[in-house]
Amino acid sequence: MRRLPVYLLLDTSGSMFGEPIEAVKNGVQVLVSTLRSDPYALETAYLSVITFNSSAQQVTPLIELSAFQQPNFEASGCTALGEALALLANKVDTEVVKTTVDVKGDWKPLVFIMTDGEPTDDLNKGIAEFKKRKFGMVVACAAGQGANTDTLKKITECVVQLDTADSATIKAFFKWVSASVSTGSQKVEDAGVEVTGLSELPPPPPEVNIVV
Amino acid sequence: MDMLYEKIHNILTTMQIECTEAEVTDFANFALRKLWNQYDKECMDQRVIIENQVKDLQIAIPNGTVGKEYETLFKIPTDLVDDFWLEGLENSGLTCTITEDNTCQIMGVPTNAGTFDILLSYKYKGWIDGKPILQRKFTIAINPDPRTLWKDIPTLENIEYYQPDRDHIYIKVEAINGMPQKDIVAASQRGRSHAHEGNPRDDHFRVEYLDDCGWYLMAVADGAGSAKYSRKGSALACDTAIDHCKIFFADSKKLSDFEEYITTYNSESSDEYRKLLGDSIHQLIGNAAFKSYKAIEAEASVKGIPIKNYATTLLLAVCKKFDFGWFVASFWVGDGAMCIYDKERQYFKLLGTPDEGEFAGQTRFLTMPEIFRDATSFYGRLKFSIEQDFTALMLMTDGVSDPMFETDANLNKIEKWNELYDSITHEVELEDDNTESQYQLLKWLDFWSQGNHDDRTIAILY
Repeated sequence: MRRLPVYLLLDTSGSMFGEPIEAVKNGVQVLVSTLRSDPYALETAYLSVITFNSSAQQVTPLIELSAFQQPNFEASGCTALGEALALLANKVDTEVVKTTVDVKGDWKPLVFIMTDGEPTDDLNKGIAEFKKRKFGMVVACAAGQGANTDTLKKITECVVQLDTADSATIKAFFKWVSASVSTGSQKVEDAGVEVTGLSELPPPPPEVNIVV
Repeated sequence: MDMLYEKIHNILTTMQIECTEAEVTDFANFALRKLWNQYDKECMDQRVIIENQVKDLQIAIPNGTVGKEYETLFKIPTDLVDDFWLEGLENSGLTCTITEDNTCQIMGVPTNAGTFDILLSYKYKGWIDGKPILQRKFTIAINPDPRTLWKDIPTLENIEYYQPDRDHIYIKVEAINGMPQKDIVAASQRGRSHAHEGNPRDDHFRVEYLDDCGWYLMAVADGAGSAKYSRKGSALACDTAIDHCKIFFADSKKLSDFEEYITTYNSESSDEYRKLLGDSIHQLIGNAAFKSYKAIEAEASVKGIPIKNYATTLLLAVCKKFDFGWFVASFWVGDGAMCIYDKERQYFKLLGTPDEGEFAGQTRFLTMPEIFRDATSFYGRLKFSIEQDFTALMLMTDGVSDPMFETDANLNKIEKWNELYDSITHEVELEDDNTESQYQLLKWLDFWSQGNHDDRTIAILY
């Protein structure tokens, strides 16, 4: 079966401490429980969580939704987004199945990045690794005013911004991510095609602004 | 004075401490209070240490699925906890047993989906009556049974190009001179992903047996999921192709020439007859495919929309039993599979190659003009074959071939064809004249395969 890998790259730097990090944890939980009741996603979507602060770590290796266990993470340190992208590239190499004559490979991974600040490491190095791999949709989310959308535009065309990083807004973002994964799963199952642009995703809620 | 205070008074007196009765009472209260606080603090320290240790215990509770047997074990060290029990498990339909050595087994068949908060309550080591019962919270996630999540919403009958959500047929060919003749059974089932949205079935088939000349005609088509009117595309493809073949066979000159070329080619196999036969096949099957394309093009132009809205595959086969064996001619564009299979001889022959591209969703469709533009590739799609006999000639859409074969490479493995045939015959009695088998085949098409919920269509000549 062809899986639809979904990678979440979540900022757990010190500035996320308190309400934002709790909202992110809650968001992941809501995301997973919502997708579990969607038959397309439950059978097709596989989920991995990579967090980044002073370094990047994969807290949940790519796993089917039904077996996903809520990871625990705390907010501290700075914002190694570059390292997170390099780690993502590395994990895609090992976790995503490529198509060969004998095996039908996975669909191209969907990636959702969420950060609330400027990267503190060498972002370009990470981007270079990241760009060498093939991805489906990559959405970068600037949570609050501390994140620079121009920086995120270097990673992907699809950048969204949250006005504030409060729990209601973060929750709205995760709901939209969940709806997007549902859409992506349905598209690959129904029509055998991947989502390629923001226009094919469900319209984002008012809290989530598309950055043009 | 109470006995206790009198005793304390005596002790104090022997210690040569002079005090009044009120002082003794006050002292006793003071001393006991102080000691109790000290005792209580020590107990609490002990408790907090254990509580933290229990909190840090790695207890991995795997997720379950409704209706699926569940079992997990975890152990709490006996040097931390004397006794424990779980609360909140009953909502999930699971139960637990805890043994003397503090091993907890959670088991059962979950009945409800959701994330359940479970409270582990325990008497810590050294607990005595009056001390608090400590608790640790964890959750257990139960997934819904994916099968129950798929809705089955009937397609609205007033939509354009409505076609029923399922279809099936049995073509019984009477025995000739006591010799049983091959029959055709075919079925088509709307995929779960379409049923879930109330969307129509895009697959189509058409099969016929021509009584007067003994030819079997079979067509199966899969309308592209991404094309709006592909259900009409697949229907037009099958119907036009079969109708064309019927017209061809109704022409006695064409029919007799064709059969003569086949018979002569079989005995001589000369270049001349190969060419005559090839031209005839082109007239029959090649034109059938081309007419199908034209019919779809005409429909699209009436609607004033691009033909790609009707994108469909087409697998077409015609065959007849001659005294020297079976002649089969075919045309194939798009994915799916078409194959002659002989179980006894462990033989199979694919009637072409599926058009699956390197990446998903890159299959070719009948509705692409380039299919007919390039003569070499078009001729490559026409095949013919002469077989002594076979168990089954099967045409199927990718809704069947994808879950069964997974990759194109597997279409070339006899084991895979054996598996498919065994899977079918396990539920479908492919006996001569068994008209019931159409319903069995329709039911078989409901087989469960994770992530594979496309429309499924199969036609079998056996």
